[in-house]
Amino acid sequence: MIATNVRRLAFYLVLAFALVSGSVVWWQVVEAQALATRADNPEVIAARRTLLRGSIFDSTGQLLASSELVNGLSARTYTDPAFTHVIGYSSLRFGTTGLERAFEDLLVGQADPNPLRQIMSDILDRQPEPRDLTLTIDRRLQDFAAAELGADAGAVVAIDPQTGAILAMVSTPTFDATAISGDPDAAQDPMDALRNDPAEPLLPRARQGLYVPGSIMKVFTAAAALDAGVITPDTTYEDQPRQETEGFVVDGFTIREHDLGGIQPGLWPLSESLQVSSNIFFAHVGLELGAEGFLDAAQRFGFCEPSTIGPDDRALNVSASFVTAQAEDGCAPFSGDVELATASFGQGSTAVTPVQMALLAAAVAGDGVMPHPYVVSDIRAHQEGGTPSETVLQRLGSSGGTRVMSSEAARATRSAMLDAVNGELGRLYAGQADITLYGISNQRAAGKTGTAQLGGEQAPHSWFIGFAPAQDEATPAIAIAVLVESGGSGSGRAAPIGGRVMAEYLRFSGAGD
Amino acid sequence: MRLTWRGAELGLLVPILLLVPLGFIVTNVALTGTFEPGPLELALGYVALFVGAHLVLVAFGHRGDQLILPAVGAMGAIGIVILNRLPQDLAGTAGFGVELGMTATQLLWFAVGMVVMLVIAIGLRDDGILRHYKYTWAAIGIALLVATLLIGYEVNGARLWIDLGPVSVQPGEFLKIVLVVFLAGYLAETRTLLTSARMRIGFLSVPPLPYFLPMLALFGVVMLMAVRLNDLGTALLFFGIFLTMLFVATGRRSYVLIGLILFVAGAFVAYQLFGHVQLRVNVWLDPFADPLGAGFQPVRAIYAFGRGGIFGEGLGQGLVTLGGSLTIPFVHTDFIFTAIAEELGLLGAFALLAFAAVFVFRGLRIAALARDDFGALLAVGLTASLGLQTLIIIGGNTKLIPLTGITLPFVSYGGSSILASFIMVGLLLAISHRSATGADADAAG
Repeated sequence: MIATNVRRLAFYLVLAFALVSGSVVWWQVVEAQALATRADNPEVIAARRTLLRGSIFDSTGQLLASSELVNGLSARTYTDPAFTHVIGYSSLRFGTTGLERAFEDLLVGQADPNPLRQIMSDILDRQPEPRDLTLTIDRRLQDFAAAELGADAGAVVAIDPQTGAILAMVSTPTFDATAISGDPDAAQDPMDALRNDPAEPLLPRARQGLYVPGSIMKVFTAAAALDAGVITPDTTYEDQPRQETEGFVVDGFTIREHDLGGIQPGLWPLSESLQVSSNIFFAHVGLELGAEGFLDAAQRFGFCEPSTIGPDDRALNVSASFVTAQAEDGCAPFSGDVELATASFGQGSTAVTPVQMALLAAAVAGDGVMPHPYVVSDIRAHQEGGTPSETVLQRLGSSGGTRVMSSEAARATRSAMLDAVNGELGRLYAGQADITLYGISNQRAAGKTGTAQLGGEQAPHSWFIGFAPAQDEATPAIAIAVLVESGGSGSGRAAPIGGRVMAEYLRFSGAGD
Repeated sequence: MRLTWRGAELGLLVPILLLVPLGFIVTNVALTGTFEPGPLELALGYVALFVGAHLVLVAFGHRGDQLILPAVGAMGAIGIVILNRLPQDLAGTAGFGVELGMTATQLLWFAVGMVVMLVIAIGLRDDGILRHYKYTWAAIGIALLVATLLIGYEVNGARLWIDLGPVSVQPGEFLKIVLVVFLAGYLAETRTLLTSARMRIGFLSVPPLPYFLPMLALFGVVMLMAVRLNDLGTALLFFGIFLTMLFVATGRRSYVLIGLILFVAGAFVAYQLFGHVQLRVNVWLDPFADPLGAGFQPVRAIYAFGRGGIFGEGLGQGLVTLGGSLTIPFVHTDFIFTAIAEELGLLGAFALLAFAAVFVFRGLRIAALARDDFGALLAVGLTASLGLQTLIIIGGNTKLIPLTGITLPFVSYGGSSILASFIMVGLLLAISHRSATGADADAAG
């Protein structure tokens, strides 16, 4: 009797041994290869301590990051803090961030961009060969934008709307990553200081900062409603002139106009409404578009889920932007008409990243196609001496874009944004973004300012999105989003930065005079 | 006293033991980069211990199972070779004017354990002392627990140790034996009642409570205190031993099923109530969520498995260091299997599992051949204890189950573990000897 039970027990124990053996096989055979190349693998970290990484150059071949051996340890030197939130850091103590993380395997030479050569290297067990990266960003524009933000916290994101190439991506405050990238013991103190700094210099605001957008969101509302056919450029709302002074009652909640500064309310169509930034008009537009239409368009325009700059396998992460409350899997449904109406002019629960708003501007500039952004233009053989090699191993050009609205909707939105900077009423708000003020006489900029009310005593965030050249028949070369945290009105702080950065780019790219 | 020729034992021991000096030499060559054999005293000491034990068994005419000692010797061989390969200052003894490194201390415990094993294997001619005083044993067990609770001190968050001057002991290791002895005694007496009487709740047949309650009560006390001492590994092991012995005594799958249901319910409650349980389970489910924080240990272990691959990195050639320290945590105790898997590869890991399996199935064979129910249940309990402990800690290393801090028997560094394991081997050999000589003993009696 007991002997029988013992035999049955033996059977179960055989199963248990088989299961445990299987779990060993899982890690030592099935998963072994995948584990070997993970960035947080201690062997990879240990190897990195002595491995030289490739260099990183700007679009004109200026050196931005390079490595050398100091006392047998690989130390990274960064030449320009304005690039810290793009390149990230490669620290022997704190791991990697930014492009240093996304391109880890190529920079240290553990992967070859050419798959055939990669197989050959594996077979021959070759020593790793570092690769160099070239960015799409011209250091002159990046530094210019960083200088414009100055001591303020904020972000500037500029994109080529035709290709998706990032032209500038600045987050301030920034820091010099060289101090945390060398000797692991010396890195602790500077890192502690950065972590404890209340200004949060470690936060890449352009990609991961979430801010109330305010009136720049009206560009989205207009584009979505035009695309859905809910409005035309000539649509007006009968009650709107009266509501400009009396307020617009939605579900018992009164939506009020911002201070129009003495402008007499009129029966305004799209262009005038965008020029004076009428909350009442866009509340009507949003309500007419409806909660479902608004959310559908938001998702099409890239809101509500995280995105990337660059191809998915080698990408900088961009946080999700929200048009409603943040739910676990994206945007929550609208709680009602009040939230929908306020979201239509960028208040309510809206929270966006500067990258997302630059992409919105780029989609309008790009005739309705939102480009896929990228920031690394090619991978080259490594060359010592601080200059890029002529040997380009792989080009990482534009991967096109996604049509998010009809060409007609984009044209109408563009026309209204052109008026918002250059029109009779618009000049009063966004006139400081006019690039003719900054020496570009033959081109015009389009744009929209935003003054994001935060409630309480906090000064509002100052926003501007726009693009240039924007006059009829011109092909826009730069789309931009500017955010200055608690910078006051959009017209006062962000708009002139936007105008000057666009003008600077047109000047040295030869598109303006 | 008649000599018994234990040919199989000797034949198996010799090749196994030869691997120990070989392993030491390979390690020394790899670590120093010279073709020097390095210090071999400890390796030869290990060989001498097992050969000596074999000879003593022969001299006393012991007729117990001949595969148990070689299986133990093989597991211990892998363990001592790996311990010798690790930095010797991870652990050790200092006292009485001598200082011993980790491997030397471990060997010393092997020697102590071996002597105790031989005394039990040869001296325990009658198991009455175990069988008849089961409540005394239960009382001793509870006393051990209470002592730990009162005067124990904590290592890594679990209060497992009692300081006895020169040495510290882990009472849990010995409590295990006491529990097995008590359960064997109690179940041998009541198994007929537990099997025949029936109560049904729904589709499950439930053990008759009057016979079941005393055992359940003691068991509850043990489990509660194990949880109280924050020693989840021991609690899980005790539960496994309990269910295994209950199953063998009654043959009732439903009892095991009830036990498992209770276990899942208990685990769920523990998960809800205790932060440290929650943390462990979450780390188990996704260690990569926080690879530098909570997931640090399992993640480092997983990488070591990956580095080892099928053939291993070779003795002395693996075990990455980072900033001067080994990346595998608790590499000489909880995670020693991981170190073996890294340097000796899947092949080495499988060899260890195979030796453990040989041990377990020989142990079950001893149980099946035992002369009486008590001997059979005792053998099952001892075998299950060592076997389940091996499976639980290896499964924890590979993340098959949540990690719990228990030792790998005969392999991990630790005096209490080694001594307790050898006591159990001694008991198994004694049972085995009694069944082999059953006819003689009956005739003499």
